[in-house]
Amino acid sequence: MKPSRGCIVLALALVLWGRAANAHHSFSAVYDGTRVVTLTGVVTQFKFVNPHAMMTMDVTDGSGKVTEWTVEFAGRLNLSEVGWTADSIKAKERVTVTGNPSHAGSSRIAFVRLVKNDGTELLPSNAERLKSVEEERRQRAKTRNQ
Amino acid sequence: MPIGNSRTWRVCLLGFLLLVLLGPSARAQGTRSKLDGMWSDPPQTAVGTFCFAWCTDAGIDYLNKLLDNPANDARPFEQLMSEADRYQRQNYVRARLTDVAAKAYPQDPADDPAFRQCEPYGLGHQMVARHQLEIRQRGNDRIELRYGEWDARRTAYLDGRRRPPTEALTLLGYSVDRWEGETLVIETAGIKAGLMFGSDGAKHSDQLKTTERYTRSQDGKTLLLTATFEDPLSLREPVVLKKIWSWAPGSEIAPYKDCQRPDEFSKSGKRP
Repeated sequence: MKPSRGCIVLALALVLWGRAANAHHSFSAVYDGTRVVTLTGVVTQFKFVNPHAMMTMDVTDGSGKVTEWTVEFAGRLNLSEVGWTADSIKAKERVTVTGNPSHAGSSRIAFVRLVKNDGTELLPSNAERLKSVEEERRQRAKTRNQ
Repeated sequence: MPIGNSRTWRVCLLGFLLLVLLGPSARAQGTRSKLDGMWSDPPQTAVGTFCFAWCTDAGIDYLNKLLDNPANDARPFEQLMSEADRYQRQNYVRARLTDVAAKAYPQDPADDPAFRQCEPYGLGHQMVARHQLEIRQRGNDRIELRYGEWDARRTAYLDGRRRPPTEALTLLGYSVDRWEGETLVIETAGIKAGLMFGSDGAKHSDQLKTTERYTRSQDGKTLLLTATFEDPLSLREPVVLKKIWSWAPGSEIAPYKDCQRPDEFSKSGKRP
């Protein structure tokens, strides 16, 4: 299925947003917010903790080699504000994760978006906020142009 | 009952005295409890989001100008927010730093002890940390503040005491507070030298003094902090920051005990 223009814009906005939203946790010291990578694999562990939730997943490449990747999220403080729980991601689930790669090129990324095998999508806590702000901007422009 | 009965008059007089004596206390109790409870992320508005960590009046004015300019309608909000943030950091914060502090500003987030050594924030950062802030009055003599970030806890004394001269410096300092109408005012000194205004903020000395003013909005849904920072060694003149929380009675502070020192990081401008 071809992604809609709206989806692409939202994904891009989330990538940009993530750089600002995570700055307080020094993500910029570890991850390159200007690039994204996408991985598909099987979850081995999800830790819903502070200051950052962490997930490990096994990713198998074309030659059959398995590499363990670490995905770093915002903290439980942040994610629980939008309904995430310790069961939001379960071990043995097959998932596709998009995130910012590390500057060092190691096997770790900073979470931007996760899609489960059944199509369920998990977005960062700022997705709803972003939608509200964009609606406010549309209303503002409308009032200005009247 | 005859009005001239002396027992009745005594009861009336006692009741009147009780009202006079307890009235102000009861009113004050009512005022104090107005802030009690759990607060968390700011309203999902442009300004609320801009002030998620901290903002300044100069930054808010600049952001509003950007938002009101039709040429910016197609630009992502994150870009406008970053531009307004750069403006307030350069034109408001930097302009108030002493030469020594300005040389090291902004700090490299990779050097933040909270990131590198998992050390909890000092007050200059904790006060504007994101997410939950829980305010509770304990008895008549203190107010306790608890933060989501680091599960940090502070006590601000309401009973008129002053910081003892021999009191050791601490990360969060020694706080006393008072009510000015419906605004809670907290003054803090005795703060260990550290970072203020976040991981990429400025260094402050142990002479930093802060004055926080917390006010609940008329509709009760938001809490506004206006914080004044004064430090003769790092600031030429006071810096005034703002921050907004939303009323969040269902929000909970979770344990903060899984901090890990980074096994890889890079300094700003020195990417491998």
